Amino acid sequence: MKTNSIIEAKKGFFEIALKVNGERRELSVRNGEFLLDALRRHGWKGVKKGCDTGDCGSCTVILNGKPVLGCLVPAVAAHGGELTTIEGLGSVRSPHPLQEAFVEAGAVQCGFCIPGMILSSKHLLDNNPSPTEAEIRKALDGNLCRCTGYVQQVEAVKNAAKKMKRTSN
Amino acid sequence: MKSIKYYAFPSSVKEAMSLLLDRKYKAMALAGGTLVAKTLPDSVETYLDLKNVPIKGIKLAGGNLVIGAGATFDEIDRSKLCRSWAGGVISSAAAKCSSQLVRNMATIGGNIARPHSFNIFPVLLLGLDAKVRFACKTGTKLVDFQDLYSSGAGLRPGLDCLITEVIIPAKTRKWGCEFIKLAKTESSWESYIKLFFAVEKKGKFFAQARIAVGALSPRPFRAPAAEKALAAGETPEACAAALAAELAAARAGDYRCAAAANLLKRFVKSV
Repeated sequence: MKTNSIIEAKKGFFEIALKVNGERRELSVRNGEFLLDALRRHGWKGVKKGCDTGDCGSCTVILNGKPVLGCLVPAVAAHGGELTTIEGLGSVRSPHPLQEAFVEAGAVQCGFCIPGMILSSKHLLDNNPSPTEAEIRKALDGNLCRCTGYVQQVEAVKNAAKKMKRTSN
Repeated sequence: MKSIKYYAFPSSVKEAMSLLLDRKYKAMALAGGTLVAKTLPDSVETYLDLKNVPIKGIKLAGGNLVIGAGATFDEIDRSKLCRSWAGGVISSAAAKCSSQLVRNMATIGGNIARPHSFNIFPVLLLGLDAKVRFACKTGTKLVDFQDLYSSGAGLRPGLDCLITEVIIPAKTRKWGCEFIKLAKTESSWESYIKLFFAVEKKGKFFAQARIAVGALSPRPFRAPAAEKALAAGETPEACAAALAAELAAARAGDYRCAAAANLLKRFVKSV
C-alpha cells in the first residue's frame, strides 16, 4: 500500500489506512497512541494489554509479515501496512490448526497469553514448517505465560506443524 | 506515548535528512522504536520512521563486514555473513537480545544511537574496532565507534544526523571471540554484566587481544591491562587477575569481578 511521505495530526488524530486481517480499513488513531490501544479501541479485543512495556508479548500482532509488540509500535506507524490479529486466524466454528492444536494439547489455562503465542507460532510455521523444539522455544521466548510451564504449548506447536504438513501434502 | 504533530515515512536517506534538518518539524528518527517510542523527548514533534529508508542490507565491502543501520537483531542473527564472521559472535550476540518479538523490531542503529547500560551492540562494536557511517548536514562522516562513545564526535544520532552503516573491519574476520551476557534469564534485557573477549591467534601466541565490558555504565569500556596480559602470553590466571583488578577499580562488585575473571580464564583455555 503506497503511503504519503508525511501525515499530519488533525485535532489530535491521525487518519491512517491499512489492511487488517485482509480487509482494507481506515482508522482514526490518537496522536499519542500505540497500536495495541488503537486496535482494542476499534474492536480487535484479541490483542491483549499486559505489561504495556514490551516484556510480556500478549499484545503481539503480525505487522508487515513479522510478529511485533503492539505496545511499542506507534499506531500511526501501521499506516500503509498489513496487519494480522488473532481475529484474522480462525473462528470458533472454523479454527486455525494452531488454535485446534492448542486446545487439544491442553495448552490454554487463563488464555490471556494465547493470542500472542498463536501469532508468534503462526509466523514460525509459515517460515519453517518443521521447527525443532529449540526453534519453537526461541520463537516463543517473548510470549510469557504465568499459568503453565510452556510444555503443552511447545507440544501444541509441534502437533500443529505435523497437522499443517499433512494438510498441505 | 507523547503526542506528536507529524509522522513521516521518508524513502531515502536524502529525504530523511532534509526532514530531520528542517526546523519546522522538530523531528527525531525512529528505527525499531523499542527504546525511543516510550521515551520521546518533550521537544520532539515529528517521528521520522526509517522503515522505508534503504539502510538494511548486510554485505561485504572492501573485505569489511558492512551492516546497514536498519538491520534488525533477527536479521543479524540469521545472516549467513554475520554467522561466518569472528566465529559467529555477531549473530550470537544479536540472539541474546531480549525476546524474539523485540529482535524482530530492534535495529543495530537504534541500539547504538543512544548509550544505555543494557544495550548489546556497543560492547561488541567497541571490542571489534568498528566504525560507524553517518549521514549528516555536510554529507557523510565515518567515525570510530570508540570515539563516538567517548566524545560523541559532535554528533546527535537521530536528531541532527542518521547512522547509516556499521563497519566491522576485515582484520576481525578470523578472530576468536566470545560474547557473554550474565542476566537473570536469557531473555532479560537487563543484565549483571556483559563481556566481550577476542583474540587474534598467531601460532601459539595472541597477536591482538580485546576485552570489552558492558552493563556497568551507559558506555562500555575496555580492560587494557587484561588485554596487555593476554597479548603478552601471560597465564590465564594472571589475565583473569588483571581483569578482576580493573573491574574492581570500576566498582563492579565482588560477584561481577569473580565471574568475569572465571569467564576470561575459561575463554583463554578454550582458544
